[in-house]
Amino acid sequence: MIGPRSAIVIATVSTAFSLVVAAAAGAQSVSAEAPSTLPRSADGKPDLSGIWQALSGPEFDIEAHGPRPDAPPGLGIVEGGSIPYTPAGLAQKQKNYAARAAADPRNKCFTLGVLRGTYSGEPFQIFQRPRDLTLLYQFGHPVRTIHTNGTRHPDGHIDFWLGDSRATWEGDTLVVDVNDFNGETWLDRAGNHHSDALHVVERWRLIDANTLEYRATLDDATVYTRPWSLSVLLHRRREPGAQILENYCYTLGYDQYYPLPPASTSRTGPPASKTPASRAAQRSR
Amino acid sequence: MSTPIIQGCLRAVRIASMVTVALTPALIAAQGSAQFRERRNVITPAGPWTGARLPDGQPDVQGFWSNTIGNHNNVTNPQGRSAADDGPPREGPPRPARANAAPAERAPSRVSDPADGQFPFQPWARAKAEEFAAHLNDPTRPEYVEPFARCAPGGPTKSFMWHGYEIRQFPGYVVFLFDSGNRVIHLDGKPAPPAAISQWNGESRGRWDGNTLVVTVTNHNAKARFGRSGEFVSAAATVEERYVFDPAGGRFTYHGTYTDPSVLTRPFTITIPNKRITADTPVDDWNNQTFHANLVTPRPAGEPPLLEAYERICVEGNEGHGNPASATQP
Repeated sequence: MIGPRSAIVIATVSTAFSLVVAAAAGAQSVSAEAPSTLPRSADGKPDLSGIWQALSGPEFDIEAHGPRPDAPPGLGIVEGGSIPYTPAGLAQKQKNYAARAAADPRNKCFTLGVLRGTYSGEPFQIFQRPRDLTLLYQFGHPVRTIHTNGTRHPDGHIDFWLGDSRATWEGDTLVVDVNDFNGETWLDRAGNHHSDALHVVERWRLIDANTLEYRATLDDATVYTRPWSLSVLLHRRREPGAQILENYCYTLGYDQYYPLPPASTSRTGPPASKTPASRAAQRSR
Repeated sequence: MSTPIIQGCLRAVRIASMVTVALTPALIAAQGSAQFRERRNVITPAGPWTGARLPDGQPDVQGFWSNTIGNHNNVTNPQGRSAADDGPPREGPPRPARANAAPAERAPSRVSDPADGQFPFQPWARAKAEEFAAHLNDPTRPEYVEPFARCAPGGPTKSFMWHGYEIRQFPGYVVFLFDSGNRVIHLDGKPAPPAAISQWNGESRGRWDGNTLVVTVTNHNAKARFGRSGEFVSAAATVEERYVFDPAGGRFTYHGTYTDPSVLTRPFTITIPNKRITADTPVDDWNNQTFHANLVTPRPAGEPPLLEAYERICVEGNEGHGNPASATQP
């Protein structure tokens, strides 16, 4: 578990610093730069704004796995190596895995969820205000809000695809309490899953100006025998002009039916001999 | 149903389901909408910005907004009858049949230029728009299904004719969070992506001029239509927008000007008046996609109500039109 991920860390913080070490018992720790060097907002909080992307491939399977026809090998991001499923939870995971080509919510272009959206491999953008953080995911283009204004979870339970996120700053770490999930999202393409009883505590921490550590603890007594954690590094997209593009994936299935007039005629106007309407009618026959 | 928040939640879920039956009659008579809806356009004049500013100098226009007129059933007669009125009955309580009120008692066309309030279509384009409207309730071809009914983003202009939406601002950005899709207005002058990038809501580059956010939209795919009344342009259209904000904070006016010689005989401008939603705005099913947030019971004494949007999710629940991929899955 330690080697390649640490190598990424070493590559990204190789010039530095190693002054702060995460204190979570049993967790792998990543060295961070001195707090004074981190980008900060006007209110003094670490500025997490930017476009971020995971490189380590957890989208395929957050547990360690060898190569498969539909996935490269990966060391996984589950602390301790595997998810502590209940027998029923494991059976559901295996069922999901077997049916993944059809059953993966991603293949229906559904919202990936709080966890998977973060490390899916498609970029997302964080916009930050003192009162909240806005996370715009490229895949499916949904928006998650993490409230940092002292508000509490509403009375529930509410079946949100992206949960309800209320956060506080603990020093330079953003600690997010997330509940009100539905049970529809997966954690990866391998069918790892949760129920609507999921409760997540996230810890977001800048390691340096261009590296964001994401650690989440998942508690779901319906599916897991004990709380467990995952952690992954997110990397800042720094190409000139980098930006989030639309990926309303779910429109691709009907994209072909629009627009009318057909694109081949739209730039020059309708052909003299046939109207776009008649051409469209011919195509559809 | 035992607490206000649960009722709010169910309402949010029901709103999502309404998108799935978007071919049914409109929401224009939704309970409570009368308190927000207006029958005339209140136009904000361009001028200096004298209101609050954000630390980066932008006029602070953040918050929840909605148009004051109605939805996208009928772009040129937004409070009159539309093809959507002739559809099958919607779920829920019956609503009275809607007839055209006298012109003085309903809002004018959203087309503010030309003066006749009509889209300046070339004849074939007008026929095509009318064909779309005629088949709104009878979509015998895939292209007759109004893409919004499939949860597609509304496009640069129609998004302002749907439910309430939120504006958030950040250094270098104005972000619109709509009920269906969202838009990021880039203020940093970065060039638009290559023309090969074609998007439902396009790419938006903007700047502030006094109280006006001036936006150029490129890279739009022209797949969205302006309304259930079928109007469209092509991907070759240029789109210039002006968002004119009242420094007092309560209103702004949207103007979108389209130029497209392949479809139009001359440019046209759509004008949409908008009003801010506050914690005092009555909660309804139409304008107010936002609900009093932080609804913990009991609310601590002295704690002011806040506004917060429930998450916008559409295709995941849209069994009618939204997701061909999921419809084919076992």
